[in-house]
Amino acid sequence: MNDILSVLIFFPLIAGILGLVVTEKSIRAYGISVAAVEFILSLWMWFAFDPANAGMQFVKRIAVVPDFGISYYVGVDGISLFIVIMATLMTLIGIIALNIKKDLKNMILTLLFLEVAMVGVFVSLDAIIFYLFWEFSLVPMLYIIGAWGGEKRLYAAVKFFLYTFAGSLIMLVGMLYVAYVYQQTTGSWSFALTDWYSLVLIVPVQKWLFWAFFLGFAIKVPMFPFHTWLPYAHGQAPTVGSVILAAVLLKMGTYGFVRFSLPMFPDASVMYITPVAILALIMIVYTAMVAYAQKDMKQVIAYSSVSHMGVIMLGIFAMNAEGISGSVFFMLSHGIVSGALFLLVGVIYDRRHTKLMSEFGGLASVMPNYALIFGVMLMASVGLPLTMGFVGEYLSLAGFFKISPVMTAIGGTSIIFGAVYMLSLYKRSFFGPVTHEANKALKDLDAKELTALIPLVAIVIWLGVYPKPILQPIDNSVKALVSFMHEKAQTPEAKNTIVVSKRTKEAQ
Amino acid sequence: MENYVYIALFAPLAGSLFAALFSQRPKALVTGVVTSTLLFISFVASVILLNHVHHEGAVHVTLMDWISAGDMSIPFGFNIDQVTAVMMTVVTLVSTVVHVYSNGYMDHDKSFNRFFSYLSAFVFSMMVLVMSDNFLGLFIGWEGVGVCSWLLIGFWYHKADVTRDVNPSISPSWAANEAFIMNRIADLGMLVGIFLIYWNIGSLQYADVFAAVPSMNHGMLVTIGIFLFIGAMGKSAQFPLHTWLADAMEGPTPVSALIHAATMVTAGVYLVIRANPLYSAIPEVSYFIAVLGTFVAIFAASMALVNRDLKRIIAYSTLSQLGYMFAAAGLGAYWVALFHLAAHAFFKALLFLGAGNVMHAMDDELDIFKMGGLKKAMRWTYLYMGLASLALAGIWPLAGFFSKDTILEAAFNEHTYGIWLVLWFTAGLTAFYSFRQVFLTFAGDERYKPLGFHPHEVQKYVLWALSPLAILAVIFGWFKEPFMEFVTQFLPAYEMSEHTEHNVVILTVVTTAIALGGIIFAWMRYYKGLKRDEKVEQSLPYRILLNQYYIPILYERVFSKPYAALSKVFWEDVDQQVVDATVDGIASVIQESGDSSRKIQTGNLSDYLKLMSGGALVLVALVLFAAMQN
Repeated sequence: MNDILSVLIFFPLIAGILGLVVTEKSIRAYGISVAAVEFILSLWMWFAFDPANAGMQFVKRIAVVPDFGISYYVGVDGISLFIVIMATLMTLIGIIALNIKKDLKNMILTLLFLEVAMVGVFVSLDAIIFYLFWEFSLVPMLYIIGAWGGEKRLYAAVKFFLYTFAGSLIMLVGMLYVAYVYQQTTGSWSFALTDWYSLVLIVPVQKWLFWAFFLGFAIKVPMFPFHTWLPYAHGQAPTVGSVILAAVLLKMGTYGFVRFSLPMFPDASVMYITPVAILALIMIVYTAMVAYAQKDMKQVIAYSSVSHMGVIMLGIFAMNAEGISGSVFFMLSHGIVSGALFLLVGVIYDRRHTKLMSEFGGLASVMPNYALIFGVMLMASVGLPLTMGFVGEYLSLAGFFKISPVMTAIGGTSIIFGAVYMLSLYKRSFFGPVTHEANKALKDLDAKELTALIPLVAIVIWLGVYPKPILQPIDNSVKALVSFMHEKAQTPEAKNTIVVSKRTKEAQ
Repeated sequence: MENYVYIALFAPLAGSLFAALFSQRPKALVTGVVTSTLLFISFVASVILLNHVHHEGAVHVTLMDWISAGDMSIPFGFNIDQVTAVMMTVVTLVSTVVHVYSNGYMDHDKSFNRFFSYLSAFVFSMMVLVMSDNFLGLFIGWEGVGVCSWLLIGFWYHKADVTRDVNPSISPSWAANEAFIMNRIADLGMLVGIFLIYWNIGSLQYADVFAAVPSMNHGMLVTIGIFLFIGAMGKSAQFPLHTWLADAMEGPTPVSALIHAATMVTAGVYLVIRANPLYSAIPEVSYFIAVLGTFVAIFAASMALVNRDLKRIIAYSTLSQLGYMFAAAGLGAYWVALFHLAAHAFFKALLFLGAGNVMHAMDDELDIFKMGGLKKAMRWTYLYMGLASLALAGIWPLAGFFSKDTILEAAFNEHTYGIWLVLWFTAGLTAFYSFRQVFLTFAGDERYKPLGFHPHEVQKYVLWALSPLAILAVIFGWFKEPFMEFVTQFLPAYEMSEHTEHNVVILTVVTTAIALGGIIFAWMRYYKGLKRDEKVEQSLPYRILLNQYYIPILYERVFSKPYAALSKVFWEDVDQQVVDATVDGIASVIQESGDSSRKIQTGNLSDYLKLMSGGALVLVALVLFAAMQN
C-alpha cells in the first residue's frame, strides 16, 4: 500500500509510453481505460486513507542525490488527497468528452503525461521533485494549446509558458535559499518539506522568501495583476485544455500557498495578509465586472475562475481552520464546477463553432437537457446552498471574517456579481426566442456528453448536501496545519492571528 | 412525531422529483395529481404536528451533519415550535390549493410537468426555511426559494425583451434575473449577519444564539440585527429593494399567489418573528423596522391607486401588507404580525387566484380598463374576489378586520401615533384601490365586448379548490383568541394597556369608517363604469405614481448602466490596455534588448578584442573600488 502513490505517478507515464504503439483507431478506448484505472487507483487510495490521521500517509522516501539531500519523497494528507482524486477524475472526464478529430492519439498521450505531472505535484514532499513536476506540467499544456488551439494559439501558448515559467524561476531561487539556510543551520543538505517545516526562519528572511514563493504561486493562481495570460490560454485552448487548466493546474498555485507559504513562513504570511487580501479583493470584484463585459461565453467562465480564485485566496489567508478548510474545499468545487462549465461551452462550440453569446438565445427551447445541466452548474457557480459551490465559498468567507469583517463584506460581493454575470450569460444564451436559424435544429446532449457531465452533476449535488466525507479529512489536516503554524509563529501578532480551533485544543 | 416532520418536509421534494422525471414529456396529468396529493399529505402532516405542538410542545429532530469545519458545525436540524407549526400549516395549505388550481390554470401549457416540478421544489425550500433549527439551515431555504422564484418568474423564458413602455417588467427572464440579483444583494447582508453571529457566539443554532443574546454587547446586537434585517428586506421586498416584486408578476399567476403573496415574501417577516429575542433587545432597530414598514405600507398603496394592471395592483397591495406586518413586528407585537401573515396568506392567495380566473377568461389580458361587467359571466370569481377584497380592506367580520385592526391597536398602544395615523390612512387607500379593481373588473359597462373577448367561468373543480381559502378569508379572524394563546406559548405575549382597551371601540369604528369610506368612494367613481379623466391622468402626481416614482428607471440609470459601462472600461481599457499591455511591454523590452545586443556578435575579431579590453577595464575598476572601500 505504501507504493500506491508511486503507482499513481508512474502508471500513466508507462501507459503513455506504451500508448505510442497503440493504433489511432483504438487509442480512445485505450486512453479511457488507462484514465479509468488511474481514477480507480486514486479512489482505492482514498479508501485506504485513514481519515483520523492528520499527517502524511503512504509516505515513501528514497534518496536520489544524498549529497545534496534530494530525495524521491512522496505522501498525501487530507489537503492533497482529494486534489489528486480530482485530477484523475477530470482527466478521465476530459478524455471521455474529447471531440477532436486531428491527432487524437497525440492528444490522449499528452493528457496522460500531463496527468503524471499533476499527480506528482500534489504528492511531492521534496521541493526539487515538486519543482520538477511543477515545471513539467507546463510542457503538455503548451503543446495542447499550441497544437490544437484557436487562431492565436501560439501567442497564447508562449505567453502561458513564459509567464508561469518566469514566476517559478523566482520560486526556485527561494527554494535554493531555504535549502542553503537549512544547510547553514543543521550542517546537512535537505530539500524535504518535512525538514524545512522544522526550520525556524527569522522574520526578515521569511519576508523575502514569502514574496519569492508568492510570485511563483500568484502567477499560477492567477492573482491580479498577473492574470492576463489566463483569458488568452482559455480563449485559445481546446475544450479539454481549458477543463484541465481551470480544474487542476490553477489549484497548483493555491495549493502551493497552503503547502509552502503558510507552514514555512507563518509570521510573514500573517504580516502580509492585508496586501494579499487587497489583491484578492481586486480579483473578486474587478474580474467579476470584467466577466460581465465579455461577449464570449468561454471568456465569462475564464474570468469567473479568476474571481472565484480570489475567494479561495481569502480563505487561505484567514489563518483559521474554517477559512483554510473552506478554501481547500473550494479548490475542489471550483475544479468540478468550472471544469463542467468549460465542457458545457465546448458542447455548444462543437455544434456551432462559435462561443459568442450574441449568436445564441433561446437554447433552453431547443436543448432542454443542456440547459438543465448548465443551469445546475450555474447555480453551483454562484454558490447556491446544497450545491458543492456553497460550502467552500461560505467557509472561506466565514473564516476571513475573523481577520476583517469589512474586507469580507467586499469579498462577499462575489455572490452578487457572480449572479450578475452568470445570470446574464444564461439569459442571453438560453432564454428569449430562438432568433438564429442555425440554432433551430441543434441537437441536445448526446450519450458521450451525458456520460461526461452526469457524474459531475451528481458530485456537485452529493457534496453540496453531504460534504462530510471529504470535508472532514481536509479539516483534520488543516487543523493540524493551523496548530503547527501557531506553535511555530514567533511574532505576537502572528500568534494572535492564527486561531487554533477549540476542538484541537481540547484534543491536546 | 419525527416521522411526521420528515413527511411534511420531504413529500413536496418527492413530488418535485417525480414531476421532474416527466419534465420533457408532453403534459401528463399524473404529475399534477401526484404533486397535489403529496402536497396534501404534507399539509395533513403539518396539521398533525400543529396539534402535537399545541399539546405536547416543540418537536426537535436532527437528520445528519451538514457542514463541519474548524469549530463550526452545522447539522440538518429541524425544530417544530408554535411559530414553525403555524407557518408550515399556512404554507402547505395555500400550496395545496395552488397546486390543485394549477391543474386547471396550466392545462394548456406545454411545460405543464416542468411547472409542477418547480412549484413543489419551491414548497420544499420554503419548508426548509421555516423548519430549520439554525441560521444556515434557514439560509438554505432562503436561497432555495430564491432560485425557485427565479425559475418560476422566468417560466415563460421564451418571451423576448421589450421596452418599458410596452411592458414595465421588460420580459419574464429579465424580471427573474432582477429578482434574483436584488435578493442576492440582501443575502450578502444576511450572510454578514450570520458571520457576526458565528464569531461572537460560536454557534448558529437558534437555541444557543437566543440564549446568548442577554449577555451580549448592545452595539454588537444592533449590528447583527441590522444585517439580518437587510436580508429580510430583500426577500420581503422592502424599500429600497422592492422593485423586483411588481416585476415578478411576469410569472404564471398561481406562482404570484403562492410565492409572491402568501409565502416566500413573508420569509422576511418570519425571520424577524423568529429572531424576536434579538429584536426585543434592540428597540431602536425594531422601531426603525416599524417605521420602514409603515412607510412601505403607504408607499406601495399609493402606487396601487392608479395602476391598470390587474396583477400589479395586487402585487403593490402585497407590498403594502408586508409593510403592516413589519410595523407590527417592529412594535414588538410579534404574534400580531404572524396573525396578519396567516390571514393575509389566505385572502391574498384567493385574490390572486381569482385574478388568474379573470386572466384566463380574458385571454391573459391584464388591463382592467379593458374589462368591466364581468360579474355576469363569472359570478363565483366575482364572489371570491369580492370576499378577498373585503377581507383585505378590513371589513368586519372578515379575517383582515381582526388582524389589521390589532396592528393599528398596537400602534396606538405604543404611543406611536404617527405610525398609527399613516397605517390608518393606508387602510382607507387599501379599501379604495381594492374596490376600484373589483368594480372596474366586474361591474359597470362591458368594455371588453368591442375588443372581442368571450369571457367564461373556470372549471368547477377549480372553483371548489378555492373554497377553503374563501372560507378561511371569512372565518380566520374569529380564531384570534385561540391563535394568540397558541403562539404566545412561544412568542412574547403582547398586552394592550388599559388606555388602549378603553379606546378599542373608538379605534375600531374609526378604522372601519375609513375602510368603508374607501369602498364607497371607489363605488361612486367606478361602479357604474369607467369615466376617464384626461386631466388627472396627465397630471404630475398621477404619472409619478404610474411610473413607480421613477425608481426602476433611476436604478437603471444609477446602477445597471454605469455598472455595465464600468465593466466595459475595466475590460477594454484597464485589463487589455494597462495590465496586459504592461506584461507584453516587459516581454518586448526583453526581446528588443536581446535583439539589439545581438549586434555585438559581428564575427569580427578586433571588435571582440575591443569589447574584451573594455570589459577588463571595468572589472579592474570594480576591484580597485572594492579595495578602496575596505
